[in-house]
Amino acid sequence: MQKLVVIGAGMASGRALEHLIEADPTAYDITLFNAEPRGNYNRIMLSPVLSGEKSFEEIVTHDEDWYAVHGITTRFGEKVVSIDRDRKVVIGENGEVPYDKLVFGTGSSAFIIPCPGHDLPGVVAFRDLEDTTAMSEASATPGARAVVIGGGLLGLEAAAGLRLRGMEVTVLHLAGHLMERQLDPSAGYLLQKDLERRGITVLTEASTKEIYGNGKVEGVRLVDGTDLPADIVVMAVGIRPQVQLAKDSGLAVGRAIHVDAQMVTSDPDIYAVGECVEFEGNVFGLVAPLYDQAKVLAKTLLGQDDTFVVKQLSTKLKVTGCDLFSAGDFADGDTREDIVFRDPARGVYKRLVIEGDKLVGAVMYGDTADSNWFFGLIKDGADIAEMRDTLIFGPAFQGGAQADPLAAVAALPDDAEICGCNGVCKGDIVAAIKAGATDLGAVKATTKASASCGTCTGLVEQVLAVTLGDDFKMPAAQPMCGCTDLTHEDVRRLIKASELKSMPAVWQELGWKTKDGCHVCRPALNFYLLADWPLDYKDDLQSRFINERKHANIQKDGTFSVMPRMWGGITTPDELRAIADAADKYGVPTVKVTGGQRIDLLGVKGEDLPAIWKDLNDAGMVSGQAYSKGLRTVKTCVGTDHCRFGTQDSTGLGIKLEKALWGSWTPHKVKLAVSGCPRNCAEATCKDVGVICVDSGYQVGVAGAAGMDVKETERLADVKTEEEVLDYTRAFIQLYRENAKYLDRPYKWVAKVGLDWVKQQVVEDVANRQALVDRFELSQSIYRKDPWAEHVAREQPRYAPIANLVQEAAE
Amino acid sequence: MTNWIDIGALEDIPQRGARVVKTARGCVAVFRTGEDEVHALDDRCPHKGGPLSEGIVHGGSVTCPLHNWVFDLNSGVAKGADEGQVATYAARVEDGRILLDATDLVARSAA
Amino acid sequence: MDIAIDTPTRTFIEVTEVWVPEGDRLVLAKGEYGTLSAFEEASRATSFAKGEGLPGKAWSEARPVVLKAFDGSYFKRTEAAAEAGLTSAVAIPVFDGAALMAVLVVLCGDDGERTGAIEVWAEKDGLLMLDDGYYGAAKHFEWVSQHTHFPRGQGLPGGVWAARTPILMRDLGSGYRFIRAESAGKAGLTTGLGLPIPTPSGTDYVLTLLSARGTPIARRFEIWDARAAKRGAKGGAVLADGICAREGALWDEDSPREARVWQGPIGQVLGTGLPVVETGAGIAAGYTSMVALPLYGADGLAHVVAWYL
Repeated sequence: MQKLVVIGAGMASGRALEHLIEADPTAYDITLFNAEPRGNYNRIMLSPVLSGEKSFEEIVTHDEDWYAVHGITTRFGEKVVSIDRDRKVVIGENGEVPYDKLVFGTGSSAFIIPCPGHDLPGVVAFRDLEDTTAMSEASATPGARAVVIGGGLLGLEAAAGLRLRGMEVTVLHLAGHLMERQLDPSAGYLLQKDLERRGITVLTEASTKEIYGNGKVEGVRLVDGTDLPADIVVMAVGIRPQVQLAKDSGLAVGRAIHVDAQMVTSDPDIYAVGECVEFEGNVFGLVAPLYDQAKVLAKTLLGQDDTFVVKQLSTKLKVTGCDLFSAGDFADGDTREDIVFRDPARGVYKRLVIEGDKLVGAVMYGDTADSNWFFGLIKDGADIAEMRDTLIFGPAFQGGAQADPLAAVAALPDDAEICGCNGVCKGDIVAAIKAGATDLGAVKATTKASASCGTCTGLVEQVLAVTLGDDFKMPAAQPMCGCTDLTHEDVRRLIKASELKSMPAVWQELGWKTKDGCHVCRPALNFYLLADWPLDYKDDLQSRFINERKHANIQKDGTFSVMPRMWGGITTPDELRAIADAADKYGVPTVKVTGGQRIDLLGVKGEDLPAIWKDLNDAGMVSGQAYSKGLRTVKTCVGTDHCRFGTQDSTGLGIKLEKALWGSWTPHKVKLAVSGCPRNCAEATCKDVGVICVDSGYQVGVAGAAGMDVKETERLADVKTEEEVLDYTRAFIQLYRENAKYLDRPYKWVAKVGLDWVKQQVVEDVANRQALVDRFELSQSIYRKDPWAEHVAREQPRYAPIANLVQEAAE
Repeated sequence: MTNWIDIGALEDIPQRGARVVKTARGCVAVFRTGEDEVHALDDRCPHKGGPLSEGIVHGGSVTCPLHNWVFDLNSGVAKGADEGQVATYAARVEDGRILLDATDLVARSAA
Repeated sequence: MDIAIDTPTRTFIEVTEVWVPEGDRLVLAKGEYGTLSAFEEASRATSFAKGEGLPGKAWSEARPVVLKAFDGSYFKRTEAAAEAGLTSAVAIPVFDGAALMAVLVVLCGDDGERTGAIEVWAEKDGLLMLDDGYYGAAKHFEWVSQHTHFPRGQGLPGGVWAARTPILMRDLGSGYRFIRAESAGKAGLTTGLGLPIPTPSGTDYVLTLLSARGTPIARRFEIWDARAAKRGAKGGAVLADGICAREGALWDEDSPREARVWQGPIGQVLGTGLPVVETGAGIAAGYTSMVALPLYGADGLAHVVAWYL
């Protein structure tokens, strides 16, 4: 009988042995080495063992009896030291075994990030029973904490298991959303929400700096300074094929052991199977292709023909109650078309990617009923032209499974508040409609719903539609963009009401029709989110227009303008010298004094931006934000310091206002001015907020304009002190930030909501004014900072070319 | 004949963002989509020369920052009512590195 | 795990009944009484109005109810129960949205000798607290449970609560595998089945059945997934998890067992939407009785759990 030696008792080699023995139990005299002190078990089921939902006995594939019955000599717990290919012997720790045929099933090991502390006791991978046991033991202490590094399949299964065991669990993930290889951001968002509902903390874009501890793990520190105490750290960032033995034996090894389609390595008597294999540039981590390989290997060992082919793969997550599925390829492409289906109420997201007449990829969350059918279509490359329109509804589509956009409103209870301003509930509105108020105007007149700020107009119309059915004709509201039917006002209201705190949350919960928005909605959403959730939402540079992303104004020739802040229009000789030096150093072609009382350097090259900012920063200047939808300038006249007509310190007040407001993002740009007397040299009466100093105090005007429209400010209030000017201004700006449509200047917004409502919110309701100021200051605690300094420190590389092939050519 | 050049790591470009590669033929914008696909296009809008690398990336498209022309990242063809096309170059990701086919970009200047 | 336990064991639950609404009263649809025929007769002669007796109370209060002493309580069949040696009972209402489908009642006896636990956990202030529970002889475990609470996602009750799905846990007592493990181990508890019990009020309840080796609640447990989001137009149900004292693990990743509507006891539950109590032939080999309970979610019947003796 020929001698077969197998190194590694894993799922692939185990399956190969099963096929081999089933086909011909007498073909080989088999010896099986395994470094682990046990035989083959279903490694992918370790996560339910960890959680307690399975016992280890249940996942043992081959027990002692099985090996005995099939006459397999087992050398478990024994490492293979080397292989002598000339003598055809495997040299184990306890002696040699000769072979005619040899199979490598050495699998893979966990990839451990080589950060400081990665070798501390308490840092474990999640690969074998020992790891699982270590994790279970760590969970025995009440209140014990775990940090899982890696938000892929394995990491999330570990996290869910540890949580079920009672631990406080934090998942750290480097990418922007979980399982980014298998899921798109929308599905990743739903998964994160699901895990958070289980009490698991998820941190994305979290980069590990070090694992610390005295003799054992005590915590993890992130690059951004976050400190996470931990009793155990699970490293689940990826796997690395175990190929050292094969390499030492002189086999051809790339990323893993090279095999052909018959699983033969570079030595015709040596085979490899499983995660240690590289075939046509691919390595394998999921179980389906490993089983395919096992089948081919068994045939090869029996001298029969078979060929391994790489097939499409599908992914499922083994966390009880989490239903997700992904398969195929869902990258964007010119010839590709997306079909997106979202049902926010049920937490369902489905996306199909079609290329030509074929389905090439599918991602599903919350409803995976048809996943096998879709997977079949992908694998078979089936022609779906006939059913393209209804494909997303699955094989059983019978027409009419469309989600009803009004269902959410219909489901609201009668005591749900529709109009927050006037405290009108759904029940009140329904009653008014039934009493004969059958259009928006009538409802407004009878209930006062939507009669104030108007942001609930869309909602009131939906209540009308639900109550009146076909009798109500919904006025065609202007949707935000092609990605949604909702208006800006609806989106703003829902972001607040549903506490949507991320872009994917908005896309999913509001049923966006596209995968990740467009250039119209993304900047608006980015503003709404950062205005409403300053602490939770992270500003997304990639959703900003170029000027705000690069903190400079793009000019028509692709160069930029750079403008430092001059607080209240005041500068110094040193600042002027620094500006002049910078202009020289960077070859600035144009230097201009602007209408906003500062100096603009025009024609700076994009890659020079960080350097010129650094120079200006070093001279004590910060960005003038002359490019932003935010505070631009506060123009002043010289006031009582120098002017014989001045009634107050207008320059000083202007500086205070500018220092309070700078850095804040607003729906559109905001310009202020403070004039020292009613002669109005600072032109305060055509600004977004304009203050006129008078003997008795200050007149605060708002909603002026001097652009395409010219409009005089309207008087918000007359106040006595500078502090009041600061409070009223901040409250007004915050009200504007919280309620206006993106790209509406204050005068347009005030025209929509009415100055009376603004006065009521800012002037009459003292407590509300203070609340607005407090929310403004909370937001400013994040955003009142110099973007130049920040970009010089953190984002500098992004301004330089990623590569320079001009040099390459010269070499 | 292709000439794959490693121009940097995928993480060097933000998702839904771009970076520029300087070449003898001018700047080439290398884009990374939300799905981690990379595409390389001339960094010049055929309309008024806007730097496409500075545009907003959405799905498989980029919007020029100057006048909102939208280009398909795969083909370089303008979408919608606008007519125009920018040159594209083969690019791919392997082991987290971005490879750019520099055949057209390097050879000419070397010649 | 390959020990076939065919000899009848003393079981934790002695009587299982299904009461269904008929007009404004609950009538007995099915029952498994073992040898307690006098109690069976008394029960068949009874019906309950809303709020009346234990089943009626579970209906009117719309939540699971544990009753640990019959004397002087609202329990209606006290005399017959006393004669049968029954001392405690748990009633579990089955709601589909606001509609009561049935009330499942289990009765136990011999408090001092039988070990196991039937617990009702209720949400309070964002945590799951023990509402009430019947533990038989497992007094220390009862005390531990009364002083335990579960945040979302933690332990069997917290896991069921967060995942909104039934969960079956193994080896409760084997050291570290269960939050109340030490005490569970001492009490001999081995297997735990946790069930989400939706109620019209919206308050979340979780029922747990914790089975001990000597006096098991069941020797075979099954969880069937019947959600449309999982099954689509196929209907029926798929076995999501299960263990059996005779067959070992019942789950198979590659070829999961399926149940079709109206086929077998699980199919009966899928078809009628009501709990099933079955004895004799027609159930899994080696078992004499089974209980199958439907669990409803937001979109109708979501899961079926079954336990066998």
